[in-house]
Amino acid sequence: MPPYKAGLKRKVISDKKSDSDIEEKDSNSDNEVEDLLQGDLDKESDATDSEHEQEDAGSDGERDEVLFDDSADSLLEEDQQSEESLEESSDLSDSEDNDSGDSADDDESQPESDEEESADSGAETGTAPSASGSSDESNKKNQVLKKDNEKSNIKQAPTKKKAVKQRQKKKMSSIDVLANKIQEAKVSTEPVQQKDEYESGDTSDEEDRVNTAGEVPMWWYNEYPHIGYDLDGRRLIKPPQRDHIDEFLKKCEDPEFWRTVRDPSTGQDIVLSKEDLQMLERLRQSRVPSATHDEYEPWVEWFSREVLATPLRAFPEHKRSFLPSRSEQKQISRIVHALKMGWTKTRKQIADERKKKKERQFYNLWGAGEAGEAGEARAPRSLPAPRRALPTHAESYNPPPEYLLDRREMKEWDKLSETPWKRKYTFLPTRHASLRDVPAYPRYVRERFLRCLDLYLAPRAIKMRLTINAEDLVPKLPSPRDLQPFPTSEVLRITGHEALVRSVDFDPSGQYIVSGSDDGTVKVWETSSGRCLRTVRLGAGVARVAWTPALGLSLVAVALGRRLLLLNPGADIGAHRVAADTDALLAEPPPAHDVLMDERTSSCVQWEVVDAEQWARGVRVAVAHFKPVTHVAWHARGDYVAVTLAEGAARAVVVHQLSRRRSQLPFRRAKGLVQCAVFHPHRPLIFVATQRVVRVYDLVKQELVRKLQTGAQWISAIAVHPAGDNLLVASYDRKLVWFDLELSARPYQTLRLHGGAVRSVAFHRRYPLFASAGDDRYLVVAHGMVYNDLLQNPLLVPLKQLPGPERCGELCVLDVRWHPAQPWLLAAAADNTIRLYA
Amino acid sequence: MAGETGEAQLQVRFITKQEQYAISDSPYAIQSNVQSVELNTLLNALLKENRPSFEKSVEFDFLICGELLCTSIAEHLQEKGLSTEDTLEIEYLERFPAPSPQDCLMHDDWVSAVHTHGSWILSGSYDNSIHIWNTKGQHKLAIPGHTSPVKAISWVSFNGDQAIFASGSHDQSAMLWVWNVSGNSVDCVVTCRGHEKGVECLAVSADAKSFATGSWDTNICLWSTSLSDEDNVPAKKKQKPDQGNTREPMTVLKGHREAVSGVQWMDFNTVVSSGWDHLLKIWDCELGGIKQDIAGNKAFFDVDWSPLSNSLITASSDRHIRLYDPRSTDSIVKTTFTSHTGWVQSVRWSKTRDTLFLSAGYDGFVKLWETRSPKTPLYDLSGHEDKVLCCDWSNPTFLVTGSCDNTLRIFKSKHATGNA
Repeated sequence: MPPYKAGLKRKVISDKKSDSDIEEKDSNSDNEVEDLLQGDLDKESDATDSEHEQEDAGSDGERDEVLFDDSADSLLEEDQQSEESLEESSDLSDSEDNDSGDSADDDESQPESDEEESADSGAETGTAPSASGSSDESNKKNQVLKKDNEKSNIKQAPTKKKAVKQRQKKKMSSIDVLANKIQEAKVSTEPVQQKDEYESGDTSDEEDRVNTAGEVPMWWYNEYPHIGYDLDGRRLIKPPQRDHIDEFLKKCEDPEFWRTVRDPSTGQDIVLSKEDLQMLERLRQSRVPSATHDEYEPWVEWFSREVLATPLRAFPEHKRSFLPSRSEQKQISRIVHALKMGWTKTRKQIADERKKKKERQFYNLWGAGEAGEAGEARAPRSLPAPRRALPTHAESYNPPPEYLLDRREMKEWDKLSETPWKRKYTFLPTRHASLRDVPAYPRYVRERFLRCLDLYLAPRAIKMRLTINAEDLVPKLPSPRDLQPFPTSEVLRITGHEALVRSVDFDPSGQYIVSGSDDGTVKVWETSSGRCLRTVRLGAGVARVAWTPALGLSLVAVALGRRLLLLNPGADIGAHRVAADTDALLAEPPPAHDVLMDERTSSCVQWEVVDAEQWARGVRVAVAHFKPVTHVAWHARGDYVAVTLAEGAARAVVVHQLSRRRSQLPFRRAKGLVQCAVFHPHRPLIFVATQRVVRVYDLVKQELVRKLQTGAQWISAIAVHPAGDNLLVASYDRKLVWFDLELSARPYQTLRLHGGAVRSVAFHRRYPLFASAGDDRYLVVAHGMVYNDLLQNPLLVPLKQLPGPERCGELCVLDVRWHPAQPWLLAAAADNTIRLYA
Repeated sequence: MAGETGEAQLQVRFITKQEQYAISDSPYAIQSNVQSVELNTLLNALLKENRPSFEKSVEFDFLICGELLCTSIAEHLQEKGLSTEDTLEIEYLERFPAPSPQDCLMHDDWVSAVHTHGSWILSGSYDNSIHIWNTKGQHKLAIPGHTSPVKAISWVSFNGDQAIFASGSHDQSAMLWVWNVSGNSVDCVVTCRGHEKGVECLAVSADAKSFATGSWDTNICLWSTSLSDEDNVPAKKKQKPDQGNTREPMTVLKGHREAVSGVQWMDFNTVVSSGWDHLLKIWDCELGGIKQDIAGNKAFFDVDWSPLSNSLITASSDRHIRLYDPRSTDSIVKTTFTSHTGWVQSVRWSKTRDTLFLSAGYDGFVKLWETRSPKTPLYDLSGHEDKVLCCDWSNPTFLVTGSCDNTLRIFKSKHATGNA
């Protein structure tokens, strides 16, 4: 290579190198992204390049080997070596240049391709064949440079390891490396080609003298002073002709004469530049005129059987080629789903299966115990064979003499020769002097065989033994100790009544007790001491007393025969102000036009006028009914009283409104023998207990909400849980039935805790307690926890049997009530006492 | 087994805090099955040996590990989980002598409240009357005035001839009375109205300037005990000529959710109250706020505070008397005294001994307790035939109890001045 050429080359390359050095890293990292963006065709182009590149890679590998050896001692001579390598590479390119046919048009085509590349990335995908060809050219150059760079990089690598790594990388994916190179080259082409543009030999200075005469022989103008015409049609005047003397003189004087030629078209002298001279020199040597052309560039295959760097057709890509196809996506997802579900199998799986099938199948004789395999999990468990009994002394080779058969036994043995199974032994105990003398056992094989038969023919089974204790069958209930407080003993016995006490009740604060007795009195007691504070004589047996739940009122509802009396227990009981307010409220009946009752109601209910004598006794309101009153229940707000009449049929339940002195008959038809009617604690519902059924009515909508089948023969009393969702029904047939109204219309639980008829049942207002009592001697206190969580059923735990009063005749306890705040239970007993349990 | 333990010998050493009965520090070996009776004779013999002047035998009580010996030593040690190997220190102190019944004062109705001061006994009854007796059993005066059962009563002050006492009743009022001792005339000076329900308990502060009442309306009212209205009633309140003697409460302490059953002064500014809402509350009277809450698990019926031992005893709606230490932040019961078979209605500390108190129960017994003996009371004071509603030990000599059998009983304690 001539030195000037090498110098030129180096200059260009050094520029390129500086650029590509910087951009190498970026492009490396950008590579993948670009790949993705460029889409399929780019990959194709990669593929077309790949073969060529593989060769390259191979040679690279070899080269690297060599370089690797170099690298050991080359750290200091970095620059020199890199220059050398550059020269090498330029040599290479030169040698290959001969093969490439169209290298001459470099100067024109490269700017074009650059423009295209910078304009759109489509150029990279090779839309224009010509452009791509030229860009390929530049790529080639760049690739060379790239390689050089890499080489230098590798040389710089300080340790062997790194180099090895890089090499491995190269070997692994030479295609990728090529792609990288292409990418980098593309990126780095721009500045180089800009330089080419300026270098192009065409200068516009010469163009001002252009002869437009055309391709005519110049001697036509020999006789004229002009030699042709310029662009404007003016004559181009011949320059002054020099004769031979002038020529000679010029030759002597002008140092540039040797390189001056005359342009025949214009007749002017042109001094050839150095480049021109070089070109002439090259031509003379029959080489490629252009000095920049590298004849030995490596050949990049761009179009062959395998490689198709530029497409044959340059249609713009269809939209569907870069938009994911929905139908394909669906199809793929279907396939994936099928694969997941095991409906289809991949080819590999099928191949595996086929392979497996071809292998010989062996029955796993010993693997029965392994539960790991799914098929054998269901196999019956192996049952160990029963052990044989150990040999006895009689079977010894030298049995003790007592085991040997004596003569009598021998005779018996012989006698049983027909029926050998009746013999004492299955063998004849024999004595041998030593073990050596023991003969072969003749029955050995047979006995083994029989044993095997036993094992094989006798079915065996594992007997699963269940051990269930009776205690385990009883549901686990919390210990009563954990459910305290609840009443445990009798603390107060309140005496004073002269006949059996029918009913008791607490005042809302729990300070007082009111009791109604058969002796015709209503008494008010102090809870803490059992002191009788007031006695109201009413003359007839009191069936029921109930203190109003309203805190602002001081009223006791008393069922007295056919009358319902509302008593104000008096000034000294409860707050004075409340008593006075109550009196003031009830002193004047509301105007008559407010009190509107239909005929049916008025025929069975009569609001009486309370005379002064009764008023002095405490009676504030009196209502007469057509039948005896058996049950009285207050509404929670204290304005309404539900009264149950005995044998009232359809008119058995009457609801009185105090504020308006009005009565209502909520039911038109008799559903049965009504036992009692109780209001819901906070909703407009009324529970009506007939003989066997409890019905729940909505008082606003006036309809039947629920019908609870108690399963009891005769209901005696009902109690509504303070939250309103649970109901306890006591019956004369010794049952206590708990209803969870949220759960069903069937009993949640039926408690048989009593030995006699249950007459009364009560819920505590604050504690999760309820109590029941009846004709047996015991009051039963139970824990009845109702959870706010709807999923959790109520927890019922019987806690305590409190010994009640002795039976008086058939009766024992007639009524039970809970203290409103304390866990104290009050019982009205048939032996004229009231008992407080705490 | 019992025989074996009976055989065992014990090394004991007797110590005492009462100097007049001090003996030498030498250890003695005794049988482990001895009881306090034998120890008593032993100790008396030792005392006589040491001091010739010592003639009259003295009854002693014996404390082993801070608890009074009621059974044999072996059983006591077993209960305490102590070994019989070590030398045992037995502290002995002179036994509080048994109170003797002195008098029975008949009333017309249940006796619900009682208070003594000096030789004067004040009793309130369910027949709405108040009675004044002297300790010899003479009935001085029956005072009608309340319209409902008198539930609480207390002497306020004695000032020469003029004695003042306060009473609370279920008629929702408390009354302040002046009793002219020599003239034996009584006058209701002030009627305190402020409660909406019956007054349940009453306590006069130590400086006798104010008293507190607890009521069923869940409030505690503090009243002044001054007899003249002018200094503490606001001007506008005076314009009710018809109720000239009516007084408004100085402070109303609201906080209980149920009835207030007992109230006691701890100092001039602090009141402790017990309620049916299972709470003991300690109030700051100046600020009218709650200083401390002690939660029990039963409704409290009565509370008493002893300045000597700085602890509270409570009667609640079960058989137990509980001892609380208000200084401890958690409301853990320090000791539970169980011997009554019914509700305990009233408890009163001794004014002179920090370990003794009196309790009255619905089982008809009044019991004298030593705080170091939680299982067995020192003495059961029997005599009442019905529920005992109240008891009082304000005069250290006399133990006074009132009961549902319409009697007020006086027990005399002989040696009440014994030092603590």
